[in-house]
Amino acid sequence: MSMTDDSAQQISRAAESREKCADWQALLAHIPYAQHLGLQVQCDDASVLVHLPCNKTLIGNFMLPALHGGVVGALIELTARVAAQSKDRDKRCPRIIDSHVNYLRSAKAQSTFASAEIVRQGRRSSLVSVTCWQGDKSKPIASGQVQLLLPTIAAEQEELHDS
Amino acid sequence: MNDLSRRLQRSHIVTAASQLTEQVPHARDLGIQVVLVDQDQVRLRLTPQSWMFAQEDTKEICTSILYSLADSAGGLAVIARVRELMPIATLDLRMDYLRPANGGLSLLAVATCRHLTDQIAFIDCDIFCEADSELLATAKATFMRNTHGQQFHSDGLKKNSV
Repeated sequence: MSMTDDSAQQISRAAESREKCADWQALLAHIPYAQHLGLQVQCDDASVLVHLPCNKTLIGNFMLPALHGGVVGALIELTARVAAQSKDRDKRCPRIIDSHVNYLRSAKAQSTFASAEIVRQGRRSSLVSVTCWQGDKSKPIASGQVQLLLPTIAAEQEELHDS
Repeated sequence: MNDLSRRLQRSHIVTAASQLTEQVPHARDLGIQVVLVDQDQVRLRLTPQSWMFAQEDTKEICTSILYSLADSAGGLAVIARVRELMPIATLDLRMDYLRPANGGLSLLAVATCRHLTDQIAFIDCDIFCEADSELLATAKATFMRNTHGQQFHSDGLKKNSV
């Protein structure tokens, strides 16, 4: 592959990442609880991340101190939700059916990041795998899988009809 | 130490654990109240607020709020069962969201410790709508007991690392 092809590919990847970033930011802005937690979208040329800034109201263990396990769970669920919704062609709002989080290391009272990987995006459901880390991406503090249900178009139309 | 004083000390630990639960910054933020702490069961209540909603245009509570409530109830259930204030850590937590939670009604979490080993506690937690007792979510969690770090004491002071 020539140099120009390489750089063209890089530019298009960066543009794609910027687009995804704006998309995620807009979706998070409509979730009151995500706003309360202060979730922010960050992107670089290669990937899109959700950043949870540290705040003293997020502490679960004030002796260590460590983040509340529920806060890490929330970061995983909300990241999975915007990833699944952003991936959906019709931008349907998904409903979380279940989530399973494994805690790998103690979550210190500091900035936490989450990245999502879509395991499978179907017409009716989506399975998203989310990894969280703090200082070092190679040392994840938690990982989780979230199953989401995408409303059927017919149900959405019914809702529109009702309102 | 005789039986009575041991029992008194243990009930003091449970009271301290309840107070600690309500004083945990994130539990305070969510407004979690301890309703009941028994050796076999823990009950916590959460009164929803508008910033807990999943969407701007609906009054449904975000699933992550139920998640935090289950984690808090599970942790307290471990301490209530062991009757010892010690650091614990969630190893994993699995939630099933059966029904949407109405943002106008309080949630009630009921957690029980199903089994305890020297190192691990297995917890079940159900979350109900308090008004009509409808089951909204179920959780299964495992906690690691006696995690390394600073030891808790009922007087709120901390001791050196284990």
